[in-house]
Amino acid sequence: MKRALLLLLLALPALAQSRLASDFEIAQMEKQLAQSKDFESQLSGRLNLGDVRAARNEMTLARNEYRTALELAQRERLDARRDSSLSRYANATSYAALAQAKLGREAEAFALLEESARYSSDDAENWNLYASAMRTLRKPRKAVAAARNAVAIAKDPLDVAVYRHALATSLIEAGDTHEAEQLLVTVTTSLRSKDFERLQREAARTEAFEVYSSARGDVAAYVSLLNRAQLRLASLYEKRGDTANARVQYERVLEGRSDDVTALAALGRYDEAFAANPFSMALVRQYQRHLQTHPERGGAGVQLALQQLARGETRAARETLDALLAKHPDNETLRTLRREAEGATNVTLPSPTPAASELRALIGAFERLTSEQRTTLDRATYTSVVRFEGGVFEAGTIDGVPFRFGAPVQFHGTFDITAPLRLTYRILGVTRSGESDALLLEPVQLEAVR
Amino acid sequence: MKRALLLLAFALPLHAQLLTPTVRGVVVAHEGRIRLGELNLDGVANATAVAASNDQVVVLDALHDEAVIADLATGRIARIETAETPIAAAFDGGELYILCRDARVLQHGNARIALSADPAFLKTANGKVYVYARAAGIVEEIENDRVTRRFSTAPFASDFEISGGTAYLAYPRDARIRTIDLQEMKTSGEIAVGAVPVDLAFAGGGTALTARILAVADPSAKRVWLTEGTQSTAKAVARGFLRGFLGLGLFGSRASQFPTGVDRVEVHGKQWLAYDSSSGTLYRFDRKTSSVIARNVAPGAFTLTRNGVAWWNGTSVAELTLE
Repeated sequence: MKRALLLLLLALPALAQSRLASDFEIAQMEKQLAQSKDFESQLSGRLNLGDVRAARNEMTLARNEYRTALELAQRERLDARRDSSLSRYANATSYAALAQAKLGREAEAFALLEESARYSSDDAENWNLYASAMRTLRKPRKAVAAARNAVAIAKDPLDVAVYRHALATSLIEAGDTHEAEQLLVTVTTSLRSKDFERLQREAARTEAFEVYSSARGDVAAYVSLLNRAQLRLASLYEKRGDTANARVQYERVLEGRSDDVTALAALGRYDEAFAANPFSMALVRQYQRHLQTHPERGGAGVQLALQQLARGETRAARETLDALLAKHPDNETLRTLRREAEGATNVTLPSPTPAASELRALIGAFERLTSEQRTTLDRATYTSVVRFEGGVFEAGTIDGVPFRFGAPVQFHGTFDITAPLRLTYRILGVTRSGESDALLLEPVQLEAVR
Repeated sequence: MKRALLLLAFALPLHAQLLTPTVRGVVVAHEGRIRLGELNLDGVANATAVAASNDQVVVLDALHDEAVIADLATGRIARIETAETPIAAAFDGGELYILCRDARVLQHGNARIALSADPAFLKTANGKVYVYARAAGIVEEIENDRVTRRFSTAPFASDFEISGGTAYLAYPRDARIRTIDLQEMKTSGEIAVGAVPVDLAFAGGGTALTARILAVADPSAKRVWLTEGTQSTAKAVARGFLRGFLGLGLFGSRASQFPTGVDRVEVHGKQWLAYDSSSGTLYRFDRKTSSVIARNVAPGAFTLTRNGVAWWNGTSVAELTLE
């Protein structure tokens, strides 16, 4: 198995177990991306960045990364096919499917996964990608089936451990925690055993402690897998009330990485957790629950804002958050908390064939959408009759409401650009078009108006 | 008037299209509908497979574990919930069988027949149902809603077809076609074919005097190989000689037969189709030439008909009569 991409498959649901994702780490990733040229490095970098952005609740930025990953994978598919390299083709097809899944396009993802399986049903890595895509699409039982294939095929002990972990993850999501717990005990026991002595020594020698969604090399993969497996096992123990065993696992996590935010929070060490990742929504929500019964003072930054909010000091909280937003203007966690501090009123999403008034209301309230609404919006498609401006398909109006695409778009078919046309689209955000605010759209389909 | 005739680069279709021929015409499953002539019926959200008998068509949604069965004469539909991931269906004597891969069961009415790991292919022949479990490498014979015989063979085939009493399995990684004598449930042949044989179809032969001719799509070689398949050993001996396979490309030269690698092949009489999934290009071909019929065709959005080929051209069914 290719270690370059190994731990894409370890990425966890953001709300369950967040990980360190500082601005510094993102900057490092972007720097590495700029230096890497090959397909796998570029792809893993983009998907990894997307996952980090998603974990930070920066969904628009995350989608941009996933779209770039998809383009890379599609290009690689065609190149591999042209070169008659069917293994490469199958692998690139699986990654294209995963990118489609992360973009919420289930039909496209499924078709690509089935295409890959035709050529490489004996490839454990591709089955693991299948499982990962199905998990992303919230189809845990399908993910379980694919993950079982990966486990059955894999030979290398580290690969087997990775795939067992992925199977356990899918089983948890499918509600079968008993088998998942057994698998995670097997995985963590084996990773801590003499079978992995060489990697343990190497990790200690190189002081490897970083946890990645996509790790390079066996050592990084080993460290990340052990971290994730122990966290998952601890979480399972907690859920069935076995706090002693959970505590053992969290402490083992901190032996490997002393600033693991999930373990710190689980052990009630909130100061250290906020120092590690102040923007983790999972941490924020957990700390808010904690504050309901254990009021605290003395934090800084996000922690302070949460304490102020818990005390009802909303004005002070707004000031704290505004200062943080000045430094991190794109951070969705800060924006979410700022909205909550403002006591934002409910915003409704447009209907599938929205009226101009609905679109104008969305432009005005876009920044106040909840993360759930943002997720729903990301997955929704809308259809409107549009008029394009100029000679390329880039910008126009929907019943007087300005919109534009990220770049000029080419559509299949013959269209009169001066005539009204029916556009199916996704709403990505709000941008500027000339002097006014405009919807930023992703086109899905263009048709003539009958 | 300004016109833009441009290639769709990334705006993929929201809905798949599936076509299947019936005695009443070509049925299309598209955008949640099932269409046949004037019939326009409720279908499934995401059509992933379709199968038809003389009277009925079934459309599967493997993502949402659902099937819709439509009566072609009356237009009546029945919607059923399936076990996990229904990937294939087949009619046998009017009876509908649905293969649910991730649940590892074959669904027949209320019966759920347990299968081996990764059951990926479903065929009917000689009044029986056959399933090839891909990861397990097991062919299972089903009769009266129970597995009556199992035969262990190589896993990870990419295609499984049956003709007469012989099952044919394509192995892309091994570059081999293996055959199983279904009467005896034992291996009857094995031959190296091309570089990456992915899909196969029957292209003639199979008489008392001739062996089955197989057309094998090889995307790596950008060819369809024509190979001669065995009949049963008993038949071959009765004919006085034993014939194996001959891995012969349709063209003798080293030049590629197709400009792109084709990975699906369909044959009906003298009508031969090949398809490249990566580019969505549909070809017709014979022993001498190949030519493009259509581009940007989705997998499953084309089918051979009685007289030619039908495919979804983006807005409707296009048909071409083949000689």
